Amino acid sequence: MIYKGLADWPKSFGDYAELRFQENTASRLSMLNGDLIANVKGGQSGFSVRTFKDGVWGFASSPRPGSLELDKSVIEETGKKAAENARFLASKKPAGILLKSRLPSRPGISNKSFVSQKPRKSQRELIEFLRSLDSYCQKHYKGLSSRTISLSCLDMEKTLATSDGADAYSFTPRTILMVSFTVEEKGEPIDLYEVYGGLGQFEDVFAEPEHIFSKLDILADNLARKSKGVYPKAGIHDVILDSDLAGILAHEAIGHTVEADLVMGGSVAAHAMDRDVASPLVSLVDFAHTAMGESCPVPVWTDDEGVEAADAVIIDKGIMKSWLHNKESAAHFGMLPTGNARAYSFQDEPLIRMRNTAILPGSSKLEDMIAGIDKGYYFLRSSNGQADSTSEFMFGIVLGFEIKGGKIGDALRDTTISGVAFDMLKTVSAVSDDMSWSNGGMCGKKQSIPVGMGGPAIRCKLNVGGRN
Amino acid sequence: MNGFDGNRLAATAVEKLLAIGADKAQASLSRTEKSELNVDGGRMSLYRTTVNISIAMTAFTGGRKGSVSINRYDKASIDSAAEEAFALAKAAEPDAANDISPKQVHGSWTRGPQKPDSDAMYESLAEFLDYSASKYPKTKLEQCILDFGCGESYYANSNDVQFNETAGLYSFFAMFTSKDGEASSSFNYSGAAHQSLKKALKDWGTIDELMRQSAEQTRVSSVGSSFEGDLILSPDCLGDFSSFLDSVYLSDYALISGNSPWKDKLGKQVLSPLFSMRSEPQSGRIEAGYAYTGDGFLAKDCSLIDQGRLEYFNLGLYASNKTGKERCPSGGGARIIEPGNIPLADMIAEVKKGVLMSRFSGGNPSDNGDFSGVAKNSYLIENGKIIRPIGETMVAGNLAAFFSGLRAVSKESIDYGSAILPWVLGGGIHISG
Repeated sequence: MIYKGLADWPKSFGDYAELRFQENTASRLSMLNGDLIANVKGGQSGFSVRTFKDGVWGFASSPRPGSLELDKSVIEETGKKAAENARFLASKKPAGILLKSRLPSRPGISNKSFVSQKPRKSQRELIEFLRSLDSYCQKHYKGLSSRTISLSCLDMEKTLATSDGADAYSFTPRTILMVSFTVEEKGEPIDLYEVYGGLGQFEDVFAEPEHIFSKLDILADNLARKSKGVYPKAGIHDVILDSDLAGILAHEAIGHTVEADLVMGGSVAAHAMDRDVASPLVSLVDFAHTAMGESCPVPVWTDDEGVEAADAVIIDKGIMKSWLHNKESAAHFGMLPTGNARAYSFQDEPLIRMRNTAILPGSSKLEDMIAGIDKGYYFLRSSNGQADSTSEFMFGIVLGFEIKGGKIGDALRDTTISGVAFDMLKTVSAVSDDMSWSNGGMCGKKQSIPVGMGGPAIRCKLNVGGRN
Repeated sequence: MNGFDGNRLAATAVEKLLAIGADKAQASLSRTEKSELNVDGGRMSLYRTTVNISIAMTAFTGGRKGSVSINRYDKASIDSAAEEAFALAKAAEPDAANDISPKQVHGSWTRGPQKPDSDAMYESLAEFLDYSASKYPKTKLEQCILDFGCGESYYANSNDVQFNETAGLYSFFAMFTSKDGEASSSFNYSGAAHQSLKKALKDWGTIDELMRQSAEQTRVSSVGSSFEGDLILSPDCLGDFSSFLDSVYLSDYALISGNSPWKDKLGKQVLSPLFSMRSEPQSGRIEAGYAYTGDGFLAKDCSLIDQGRLEYFNLGLYASNKTGKERCPSGGGARIIEPGNIPLADMIAEVKKGVLMSRFSGGNPSDNGDFSGVAKNSYLIENGKIIRPIGETMVAGNLAAFFSGLRAVSKESIDYGSAILPWVLGGGIHISG
């Protein structure tokens, strides 16, 4: 529900202030080999105020006490504390103030809710849903040495008002089902997992458990192939990164380097504006809320600084065109704020974050891309990814296949791929004509926060870790 | 936040859970105040103070279990959360392993300062910024966070267990990149936690040494070949690798799932006799220690691996009941990997060809302990000498194989406040680039 009456407060806390009421509600069910090992729910709600004075920020937060009357005193105390914190820091006159003038203003007015209109399922029904999946796995996949099925739901609800006129409400839920299987092969455990779900509450994301059985069959089949798999050969290879990997590449290896705070901190992207950084086949966008006519996995209409969110075209046909900004960095670089300031919980300050970062589809067919490789690899799933300010990246690969003579060959055991993104993207020789979003992406940067990552399949050259 | 009485609230929550029908109950509360100074892009930009509470209530009924956590502590909210926890438990399925800790003597502990010294925090951070600007002019501080957190925590259950602890600690984290023209180093970072600000922040953990290394890592190249060689893990990397050992071999999940390759090796030699890993929340060697475990036991120091012999898995109460293996009496935190007797310089001199790794950027290891990743902020060693910084170099191996074949553990170790870790040297690593 919209928390009413916030708009009157921010102006009383100083020249510039943001006031946010936020409630995160989370639940998790986890079944390991048929035992329910997690059955938890949680809620965190509270107020935060951030103020800006003489080029520095003050921030304070407090949990919501429980009644509207008490709320007023907590908002007032929190606002005073935030202003006091800004005054404390400003009084020290720290060196290197970024912005001595006023912050830019592009106030967002929005009200967007993805709350389900369907009757809510009870906890018992959700447990029965998991039990159905677990029973199916137990019955059909006799060779598993262990199986884990987890359901995680997160509802993020925010009401925001700023002294420059932003007035925004959002209810953004996410429902994620994670299934992990392990088999033993020659005494060694070999595992594989898959994630399903995305934007929406459970009732809007999943229907009957039977609808997931065919996906579980694919996971079990891929694990069976992986258990008999081979280790890739170390070195530079022609590879195809499927959409999951292309999405992580867009997020980790490019997206982070163009966050303006990292640009100021020494990222290699500081020298890349308007330069060739990728093949002309590559265009990369951080979408605010809508891509190709559909809602993105993590839609943002107004960010947590109260800026009306807009798409940021990072790479256009191989040329770097923009970075991601908050109000302060946009003013510093003389750009428009893009609405990329986001906070995870009520007690977090907004940081420059990605929203829904994707490489845009091209015109090639995946099967033709595979047929065009005589000897190489097709990578489909990643366990995790990391990158740094040089754009050098590393992704753990948990599902992949050899390509031999233009055809899919043996499955691969776990490996790692790496490269320098701004070099590797120049080797892209084909981009498929479809794209998909990954489910359940999280980004860690002081605070962990949901993000969307997506893309088509891309063909390129990169470094594959291996054992020979 | 006036009138917050954690002991009373924990007891009230347990009473409420029992009153509505739970046959066992537990409650964990925390109240945390944090004061935090932030540096972004080399400038001190934000002073942040937060207050939060958390009340987690767990209801047990007929072997069923359900948990709810909230951050309000008025009676209506606690009553409502208790009823929801009981409803979750009733919806669950019975599991004989669900239980609470047995009756123990009530306890109350306090450690560290209780209030931040905001002026001293500012002065320490300003001194660090001045130091890094003058000593490492090519190095940019992407982000630094100096915070003081004071947490009150409370635990109560229906077996008449009541613990509470108040602990205050300063924490410092620095992340940095060096630039030389358009050339950039990889970022690197480190941090530590201590009870006072007496020591200069540059000397916390490995920060000064890593900044020195960063300044000479703006131009790197790969090892240029693929070979099997040695690997020296820095204390920062060893912290990551000890977490990997936990997840693959020692953790609740690894044992309950049956995936741990060591599931039948308790009391047996699993690693090199040079490797000893202790968990000491109480001894005072670890400033960020703790008095009791999350599942309601008084924490007791213990050895997890003693000269390569597996002494304890890192199991909580549920996993212990589920697997029939002994619970870890320490709760598993506050790690110390015991130093050896060889100076780091001598360890380097012993390497014919290998890598000194200061940061590991890698995927989670597989269930069989295989790992692979990129050696970041690292150096090539040949014939006992550090040759040059390297980039785009991958390392791959198996955790158990590497730690079983350790050849040396350094005499020097780093006190992070939350852990004490040395350098270690082992072989058989696939290195390529």
